[in-house]
Amino acid sequence: MMNLLFICGLCVLFGVTLFQTVLVTKASAVTRRFSLWATLCASLLFLAFSLGIVLRNTTFTFNLYQLTGTLHLSFAVDRLAAYFMMIISLLSTTVCFYSLGYVEHHGSNTGKNFLVAMMSLFILSMLLLVASDNTFSLLFFWETMSLTSFLMVMFDYDKADTRKSGLFYFVMTQLSTVCLMFGFIAIYHVTGSFSIASVNVVSQLFKAFIFLSLFIGFGIKAGVMPFHKWLPYAHSASPSNISALMSGVMIKVAIYGFVRYLVFVLTPDPWWGVMILIFGTFSALLGVIYALKERDIKKLLAYSSIENVGIILIGIGLYLIFQSYGFTDLAMLALIASLFHCLNHALFKCLLFLTTGSVVNATGTRDIEKMGGLIKVMPYTGVIFLVGSVALAALPPFNGFVSELMIFQAFLQSFIIGNPYLKILLFLGLSLFALTSALAAACFVRAFGMIFLAAPRSEEAGKAKEVSRYMLAGPAVIATICLLLGIFSFQIFSSLGYTLPIPNMMMIGLTLIVTLGLVWLIMRFVSNRTKRTSETWGCGITSQNSKMEYTASGFSEPILTIFRPIYRTQKKVERTYEDDGKSIFKDAKAEIQTFKLFEERIYLPIAHAVQRLSTYISDLHDVDLDTYILYSFAAVVILIVAAGWFI
Amino acid sequence: MPFIIYALLNTAFVVLISPLFISLIKKVKAYLQGRQGPPLFQTYYSLSKLLKKETVYSNNASLIIRITPYINIVCVIVASLFVPIVFIPGMSAGFGNVILFLYLLVCAKFFMALAGLDAGSTFGAMGSSREMTFSAVIEPVIIIVFAALGLLLKTTNLYQMFATSLQSSLLINPSTLLISLSLFIVLIVESSRIPVDNPETHLELTMIHEAMLLEYSGPDLAMMEISHAVKQTLLMTVLINVLFPWGLTAKPTMLSVSISIVAFIAKGALLATAVGIFESLFAKSRLFRLPNLFMLAFFFSFSTILFELLK
Repeated sequence: MMNLLFICGLCVLFGVTLFQTVLVTKASAVTRRFSLWATLCASLLFLAFSLGIVLRNTTFTFNLYQLTGTLHLSFAVDRLAAYFMMIISLLSTTVCFYSLGYVEHHGSNTGKNFLVAMMSLFILSMLLLVASDNTFSLLFFWETMSLTSFLMVMFDYDKADTRKSGLFYFVMTQLSTVCLMFGFIAIYHVTGSFSIASVNVVSQLFKAFIFLSLFIGFGIKAGVMPFHKWLPYAHSASPSNISALMSGVMIKVAIYGFVRYLVFVLTPDPWWGVMILIFGTFSALLGVIYALKERDIKKLLAYSSIENVGIILIGIGLYLIFQSYGFTDLAMLALIASLFHCLNHALFKCLLFLTTGSVVNATGTRDIEKMGGLIKVMPYTGVIFLVGSVALAALPPFNGFVSELMIFQAFLQSFIIGNPYLKILLFLGLSLFALTSALAAACFVRAFGMIFLAAPRSEEAGKAKEVSRYMLAGPAVIATICLLLGIFSFQIFSSLGYTLPIPNMMMIGLTLIVTLGLVWLIMRFVSNRTKRTSETWGCGITSQNSKMEYTASGFSEPILTIFRPIYRTQKKVERTYEDDGKSIFKDAKAEIQTFKLFEERIYLPIAHAVQRLSTYISDLHDVDLDTYILYSFAAVVILIVAAGWFI
Repeated sequence: MPFIIYALLNTAFVVLISPLFISLIKKVKAYLQGRQGPPLFQTYYSLSKLLKKETVYSNNASLIIRITPYINIVCVIVASLFVPIVFIPGMSAGFGNVILFLYLLVCAKFFMALAGLDAGSTFGAMGSSREMTFSAVIEPVIIIVFAALGLLLKTTNLYQMFATSLQSSLLINPSTLLISLSLFIVLIVESSRIPVDNPETHLELTMIHEAMLLEYSGPDLAMMEISHAVKQTLLMTVLINVLFPWGLTAKPTMLSVSISIVAFIAKGALLATAVGIFESLFAKSRLFRLPNLFMLAFFFSFSTILFELLK
């Protein structure tokens, strides 16, 4: 049964890719729709497959193709892998549904066909990556995933911006593969096999090397600071359904790889947990702080993804710390919190990217200062986006709240650890985590408020129309799941066999509803219910227009001022005067600039160094024949010496 | 069953008593300024008057401004179940968790800030912007205060916290004094009082909380005001129940419940007076000076944690 589901799903997804690639210039809207439905059905098959394994806690193995004796594409799906396959297939289903409406809006016929083909291959490669039971097939599908996503980021390749983003993404993603390869080869060096199984590395230094290369490899893909810079570029350049898949799902695949290696393969050293916790805390905090200043809604969401990856890493870090001190229960709590947050973030980030796609389609801009008032013209999209924001801001009773609550619980219990320095570090981490979560709430008040509330800030926003039912139904399904997962969290965990010290949200939900009913009844009887609409009060100004409204930049200005040392804002004021005595103003210009810390201090210096090195190497090539012979001679000598050294 | 009785009794009591503390603080401030001040029941009169008025919405406003009063009042009422005043109920699945308590309050704040943006008024938006900024900056302090309490009382459940402090008063413990300083600052910040916000002003550029309510009128405004009053009472209760738990009981008998109600009114009145005096002693401080105050609270609560961890 499981075999059948797996093979059918695999064949359909691959078939769609082949079909769409072969007919890339010919296929019409009808065939595209057919292909998307097929992808959707295949995702549903995989969803059934993975749910079956998660619920029954079994293991599934399957051998697809044997290349040589040691290199083969084979799969083993246990509960952890099935859980991530569930995330992938669940979100693929909804994204496909959304895409039924969305893909028809953009690009040429060929472009659309190609996008559908790549989407299917992308989903397939993520699923098989998670299912892989050896490093060879893991890397193979990792590369397929990276390449297909790169091609989809380049969808609008005729724009210079997109080309730049695509190139940036490509370089980063290849760097991550290289780092992973280092790690995998190092493990192969120890065990002599490519299988993903427990490894006992004796040398501390070697173990640290393996850990760091895997951390950087998976970290780049997951968007951990300081390797995060590709996210805002790639997410804003790609079509929204693709950003949803990349941000919601692909970065979770990287997290899966990381968790797999930390929990099942390597035996963690105590400092790993501390390091991951620190990286996680800074990703989370800086991610949300940068999100707060963004005006481009898709970049804002990308930074918020960085924040959430940070939260997931905090959970993993806590798991490792508790595990190394032998507190298994707390370690489980932290690990489950972080895995649950993977699912939750995948859900609400997907939802937000999809609804953002609808909004961007309707208004033709990504700048939130040119939107406004959309909830009145796009009420369903607005409400769905609100659910996503509320879940992301971790408000009860939504799912985002439950996973953050679990991390808070784990933090609050950390006083049982013996080491005083570690305890202090953990309590500092707790306070920064609280700050992150409160800033996330501020960030989404700003995002939702600027996009959907008040009067339209531009003509396009005023003329926006509600989107098609496909583009509503996809995100609406996710919104419902967000609420249900939050309310039934306790029941879900107990049915899977984990009893955790978390409140029963079903009781809270029930109390909220009963209270709402009572309040409504009381208000119905005691209050005056006449209602009237009138103009917004404006100190006597009667016809206010949207230019008088607060802007998104204005909203985040206090935060920018308080966190000035982080943003490194610079205010420049230029004045010109009418007279020589500088007393009468003629004209003035003021601007506030934020310093791109990571770009200017980390990425650019490395890029410049690489460029200098390659200039130097290309200079070496620019010589006559004699020198080339000298090079060859030197190379041969070095090879002989090296061979003598090693053999 | 006892929990349902507790829920009804506690909620009714909190909702009824909260406006009294609001008036009391005003009265204390008026006395200190040499004025007579409004009568003690003024807030009740105003609320009942508001309930009789019609509601006016802005043309720009959407459903957010209409649902926010309900969300606010529901969130604070459910949060009020987390801080027992009449008696401490037995454990009930889900209630008493300190993080859930705090996030219910954040939920109310989130929607209030959205409602501030809804009408397109500059005042409302400015209020939301400042409210979200300062709620973000105070959040680490709040969480560290509660973490310190949890460390001191060895639990993260509010019911258990109060039960423990009831058994052995913590007043003599130096750590508690530090925590209560921070808790007091949190109370001042979260109930929008001087020096953070000025509850008296309307249409000044200094205001935060009132600015968000500017577009509200009639019964909706009444609901927002009640939620604000209840929220203030809840934070006062946390401080009172930890520091001076005398009178609070774990036994739901007629006598002990009446004692704890009377005792709470007395303690609450004292604390409200203290808040009134505190407000009169300070002036509204500059907006960007406020993080310093928060840092002070953070310092107090974090040093409690250091004491507890290293002793």
